[in-house]
Amino acid sequence: MATKIHNGTKGSQLTRTAVSALCALSVLTQLASPAVAGPREQAVRLHNRIAGVPPSPADLDTMAGFIQQGDPASLQAAAAIATSNASFYNVTLKNFVTPWTNRDQTVFAPLNDYTATVIGMVRDNVPFNTALSADILYTIDNVSGLPAPSLSNNDHYATADANGVDLKANLAQKLQSSVYGLPPAATAGLITTRGSASAFFVAGTNRAMFRFTLINHLCRDMEQVQDTTRPTDRIRQDVARSPGGDSRIFLNSCVGCHSGMDPMAQAFAYYNFDATAGAMQYTSGQVQPKYFINSDNFKSGFVTPDDSWANRWRQGQNSTLGWSPSLPGNGNGAKSLGQELASSDAFTDCQVQKVFKAVCFRAPSDQPDRNEIDQLKLNFRNSNYSLKQVFADAGLYCRGQ
Amino acid sequence: MITEKIMHPFEPLTTGARALQLMTKGARLLQSALALTALATLAACSAGGAPTVVNQQATPGPTASSYTGPAAANADVQSFKINLWENIRVSSRCGGCHHEGGQSPMFARSDDVNLAYQAANPLVNFSAPEQSTLVLKVSGGHNCWVADPKACGDTMLTWIKAWVGGGSSSSTGVTLETPPSQTVGANKQFPADSSGFQTYVWTPILRQFCTNCHRSDAATPQQPYFASSDPTEAYAAAQPKIDLNTPANSRFVVRLRDEHHNCWTTPSGGAADCAGSSAAMLQAITDYANTISVTQVDPTLVLSKALSLKQGTVASGGNRYEANLVAKYEFKTGTGTIAYDTSGVNPSADLNFTGPVSWVGGWGINIATGGKAQASTASSKKLSDMITSTGEYTIEAWAAPNDVAQTGANIVSYSGSDTTRNASLIQDAMQYEGRTRSDKTDTDGKPGLMTNAATNPVQAALQHVVLTYDPVNGQKLYINGVFTGSVDNKGGSLGSWDNTFALVLGAETTGKRQWQGVLKFVAIHNRALTAAQVTQNFNAGVGERYFLLFDVAALTGVSQAYIMVTASQFDSYAYLFTNPTFISLDPQAAPANITLKGMRIGENGSELTAGQSYATLNTTLGGSAYNATSGQLLSSVGAVFASDKGVDSDMFFLSFDQIGSNMHAHTEPVGVVAAPTDVPRAPDVGVRTFAEYNTSLANVTGVSTTNTNVNTMYNGLQQSLPASYDITAFVASQQGAMAQLAGQYCSELTSSSSLRAAFFPGLNFGQNDAATYFGSSLSANRMLVITPLMNKAVGVNVNAQTAAKVQGEVDNLITALVTLNGNSSGRVTAITQAACSAVLGSGAVSLK
Repeated sequence: MATKIHNGTKGSQLTRTAVSALCALSVLTQLASPAVAGPREQAVRLHNRIAGVPPSPADLDTMAGFIQQGDPASLQAAAAIATSNASFYNVTLKNFVTPWTNRDQTVFAPLNDYTATVIGMVRDNVPFNTALSADILYTIDNVSGLPAPSLSNNDHYATADANGVDLKANLAQKLQSSVYGLPPAATAGLITTRGSASAFFVAGTNRAMFRFTLINHLCRDMEQVQDTTRPTDRIRQDVARSPGGDSRIFLNSCVGCHSGMDPMAQAFAYYNFDATAGAMQYTSGQVQPKYFINSDNFKSGFVTPDDSWANRWRQGQNSTLGWSPSLPGNGNGAKSLGQELASSDAFTDCQVQKVFKAVCFRAPSDQPDRNEIDQLKLNFRNSNYSLKQVFADAGLYCRGQ
Repeated sequence: MITEKIMHPFEPLTTGARALQLMTKGARLLQSALALTALATLAACSAGGAPTVVNQQATPGPTASSYTGPAAANADVQSFKINLWENIRVSSRCGGCHHEGGQSPMFARSDDVNLAYQAANPLVNFSAPEQSTLVLKVSGGHNCWVADPKACGDTMLTWIKAWVGGGSSSSTGVTLETPPSQTVGANKQFPADSSGFQTYVWTPILRQFCTNCHRSDAATPQQPYFASSDPTEAYAAAQPKIDLNTPANSRFVVRLRDEHHNCWTTPSGGAADCAGSSAAMLQAITDYANTISVTQVDPTLVLSKALSLKQGTVASGGNRYEANLVAKYEFKTGTGTIAYDTSGVNPSADLNFTGPVSWVGGWGINIATGGKAQASTASSKKLSDMITSTGEYTIEAWAAPNDVAQTGANIVSYSGSDTTRNASLIQDAMQYEGRTRSDKTDTDGKPGLMTNAATNPVQAALQHVVLTYDPVNGQKLYINGVFTGSVDNKGGSLGSWDNTFALVLGAETTGKRQWQGVLKFVAIHNRALTAAQVTQNFNAGVGERYFLLFDVAALTGVSQAYIMVTASQFDSYAYLFTNPTFISLDPQAAPANITLKGMRIGENGSELTAGQSYATLNTTLGGSAYNATSGQLLSSVGAVFASDKGVDSDMFFLSFDQIGSNMHAHTEPVGVVAAPTDVPRAPDVGVRTFAEYNTSLANVTGVSTTNTNVNTMYNGLQQSLPASYDITAFVASQQGAMAQLAGQYCSELTSSSSLRAAFFPGLNFGQNDAATYFGSSLSANRMLVITPLMNKAVGVNVNAQTAAKVQGEVDNLITALVTLNGNSSGRVTAITQAACSAVLGSGAVSLK
C-alpha cells in the first residue's frame, strides 16, 4: 500500500488524509449501529458472529429471507447457512479451539490434531460428550502435498494450515488407534491426541493434563475447585507436606487441589510425551517414572501402583459440578476418566458458556442470558451434544432485534 | 563382667534387630517369643537400616586429672573408661559428687576405674540405653552441666552407647506401654444456623475486606468463597478457617497476623495494618465463639479412646552411624538461644543464636533473615583439630529450605569471613554446593562442587543433605541417601585449614550469605561417610516419634485391641501419623472378620477437616491378614494434620464410619452454589480477530489469502492484529496493523485488472486527470468507487445509516485527494486504492 500511494509530499498527504478518513469511519460505523436491527442487519450479524466473516450477497439475501419469516425452523435455516460457511471451520472454530491445545493458551499456534478433531466433530455433529473418551481422530484427506499424519510430528496439520486447506471440505474421520497405533482402550479422544500430549504430557508429572482439561472443558482452574476437606491418601510423594518448613501451606493450599487432582490424574499414569522423539508414549501396565519423581519429599505419600483413578469431588463442595449418577466415579485409564468429566453438568455448561461468550462477546450477564444458557444446555443435550447446534442457537440469541 | 552384661535381662535379642517388650499398666513383660515376633512391626514403624554405631572420639575432658589408678581389668572396662568414665568423672560433671568417698553410688570415682565400672553397671540399661538411670537422672534436671537437661541426657546417652556398642553392632528395644484410658472431650461446634457468623464475622469483616477475590463472581475468583454474597456459601467456606476453641489459631487470624495477607488499611486510610486487621479479625471470631456453648461430642460417633502425643511410647531414635562424630546438633532444647552439641566430644561446640532463629516443634530450628547459629571459635577448634588429623570429614544436615530461589546461602559453614572458609555446605537456588579448602583450592574453597543443574535436586522440603570429603575423591554430595553423582576429584591436603574459624549455621560468620529454612539435625564427622553409611543415616530419619495406641477393644470386642500409629510433630504447625496398624497386645487374641470403614483422625473433640488420609479405608480386620505379633498394617500412607492447642494439650482420637458392628453415617459437607448476580452487559460489538479480519478482507476484495504479498504481510502482522473480540482491549497499534493489511489487499485489488474490473465495474483506471474524472461531489464516476465499497463492506441494504456515513466520508476523501496533484499518472488508481483502504480498514469491516 505504502509504495503505491506514497508519491512524494503529495502522496504522504494523501495517505494521511486517507488514514484520517479511516479513523473517522471507524467511529462513525460504531455510532451508526442501528437501535433496531432489521432482518438484513440481523443476518449480517448472525453470519459475522458464527463464521467470523461477512456473508456473501447471496447468502445475505437468503438469510435475511429466513429471518424475515421468523419461525424457529426458518431461523435455524438462517443459522445453518452461517455454520456451513467454510470460515466457520477454518477461522472461527480453529481459533476457538487452538488456545485449548497449548499451555500458553495462545491462539497463535499452528493447526494440530486436537484442533482438527474438534472441527471435524462439530462439522459431523459427533456427540461432543465423547470428545474426551472416543477413539476418534480427524485427518486431512484428498489434499496433495501433505505429509502423512504421524504420532511423531505435527507436519500433516501444520502444512495443511500453511496451505490454507479447506478444513470443512477435507477433514476425514478416522480411528485414533489406527492412525497412531495406540491400543483402542488407550485412546481418550482429545486427551490422547498428539497435540494434547505434546503440550500436557511433556515432562512434569502429568497433572498438567488434568488441570488443562479442567480449564478447557469444565471451565474451572484449580483455584476454583480446591477443597481441603477431601481425603489426602492419594496425594503423591512429590508434594511437600511442609513446604519451606510450614505445613500450614500444605494443609490450607496444596491439599485443596492435590486431594482431588492426584487421584484423578492417576488415570494418565501410563502416558508420557517424549520430547526427544517428539512422540507420545503409552506404557500399558507400567507407571511412568514421572509419577515417582521427588519421592523423598514425603516418603509417606502415595506411591502410584497403576492407572486407577477415583473422583473424590463427587462429595463435598465440588459435588455441585453435577457428576453423572450413572457412572461409578472411579475406573482405570484416561478413557473412563474422560467419560466421567464429559458426563458432568459442568462439562455441558462449559461448552455452552464458551460458545456463548465467543458468539455474544460477553459472559452471561443477567437473568435473560442465564435463561438462554439453560436453554442452550437443553438444546445441546437434546441434539445429542451437537456443538454446531450451540453455535447456531447462541448466534440467533445474539443476532440483535 | 562382659559375661554379666550379656546375661542382663534386657540384653538385645539378635544383632540388627530390635526387641519389643509390651508392657501393661503393671509393666508386664511379654514373653520373649512375642518380643521377637514383634520386631517386624517396629522396624516398619520406625526407620530401618543397620544398628547404630557409636564410637566415642578420644578427646580430653574438661578438667580431668590424669588417671594413676589400676589399669582396666578387661576390654569392657577399658571401653567404659574411654567412652563414659573419662567424660563424667570431672568435677564439673558427676565427679563433683559421685567421687571416691563421696556420694553413692561412686560411679565417677577417679581412684579406681574398675570400682567405678562396678558402680556404674546398675545405672545403665544395656538393652535400652535411653532408659538408663544415668540418662534419666540428668535429662530430668539432676545436676545437668548445661542449661538444657535434654542436652545432658543426649550427651550421656551418646557416651553410654559408645561404651555399650563398643564399635560393634548394638540394638535396642522399645517397650510399648498401655496408654491411659481417656474418653474424647467436649468441644465447640459450628451451629447449623449461620446468623452468628453473619453478625460477627461475615458482615463486618469478610464482606468488607475480602470481596475482591473470595467470591465466585469476583473478577479473579479465589476459593474459598467465604466472602460470597450468599451467606450460606460463605459460612460453609469459612468454617475450616475458624477455630472456635482457640480463635487465635484461626486461619483467618494467622493469615493476617503472621503472613500479612492482604491486610486492610487503618480506619484513617493509612497503610495496610496487619496488626490492626488481625486484631479485628481475632476479636470478631472471639466474639462469635463466645456465643457458642461447648457441646458434647456427637454421641453417634464411633470413637476410640483419646491420647495426647506424649502419652505414646517414644520410638527410639533410628539406627545411625556415628562412629566418627565431631559435633552433633539435634535441636531438642526448644527454648532459649543455645543449641547444644550432643556429640559428647569435648569441648561442646554449642551454637548461640543471633537474630531471628526460632525453635521448631518436633525438634529443629528455623532460621529467618538476619539469623544464624554460631559456635565460638574456641569450641569450633575441635573441628579443625580432628578433621585435619584424619584428612576427611562429613557434613550431614536435615534441612528444609524456605525456597529454591536463595543463592550463595550457607546452610552449614566452618569459616572466617565472606571469602575465607575451611568447609561449607551451600544452597545455590536449586543446587547444593560443597566447598572445601585444600591445597587444590583457594582460601575460599573455590572451585566448589555443585550438584547437577539439570536435575534441580533442591526442594523446599525436608531433605537429608550430606557433603563428604576425602583426599582421594575430594568432595561428594548425597541427597536423601543417594549419591548425586557430583564428585570433584579434587582431593588434597587439608593442612591449610585455619583453626581460628567458627562453625556457623544459616549464614556466614559476618551475617552475609544468608540461608533461610528449617534445620532439624546437623552432624559433623571426621571421616567421609561411605555411601552405605549415608543411606543408613538417611533411613534412620529425624525427629521425635511416638507410638500411639488408640484403644478399640470395646469397639472390636477384641481383648487389648488398639489402632497403633507412629506419631510425630511434623513441624511447628502439624502432626504426622504413619503406619496405622491394628494390633492386640493380648497374644491369645484371634480377631476375625471385623469390618473397618472410614477411619478419621480427631483432635480435641472434633474430627479434622483437612488431612484425613484414612477416611477411605475399607478393610477387614483379622483373619489371615492379621499377624498376632506384627498386627495388621492398615495403610502405608501418612496423614499430616494441623495442630490446635499445642503438643502438650492436643488430644487425638480416631472415629470410624464402621468398626465391627458399630456404625456411624459420616456426613459430607454439602456443596453450595451461590446465586448469580447481574453485571452490566459488555459492549454488544466485537472486533474481528486476526484471521477473521484477514479472511473478511479476502472475501470482500476477492484477493486470495494465499496471494504472496498479502500472505507475507499477514504473517508479519498476525500477532499485531487483534487476538480477541473484546473491543475494550482494542489498542491503536492493532488499528495500525489493520490499516496496513487493508492497504495491502486494496493495493493487490487495484493493481489487478481483472479483480478491479470485477469490484469497480465501469471505473476507468487509465484516467490521469482525477480531478476532472471524479468531478463534483457524488458524481457518477465517484459512485463507481463509492457504491461497490459500500455494498461489499457494509452490505446491500444493510444499515442505511452506516452506508450513508460511509458514502459521505468517502466522497469527502475523494474531494480532498483530487486536490493533491490530481492530474498525474495513475491518480485514479491511487485515489481508488486510498478510498478502498479507508473503508476496509474502518469499523465497517473490522467490527462485527
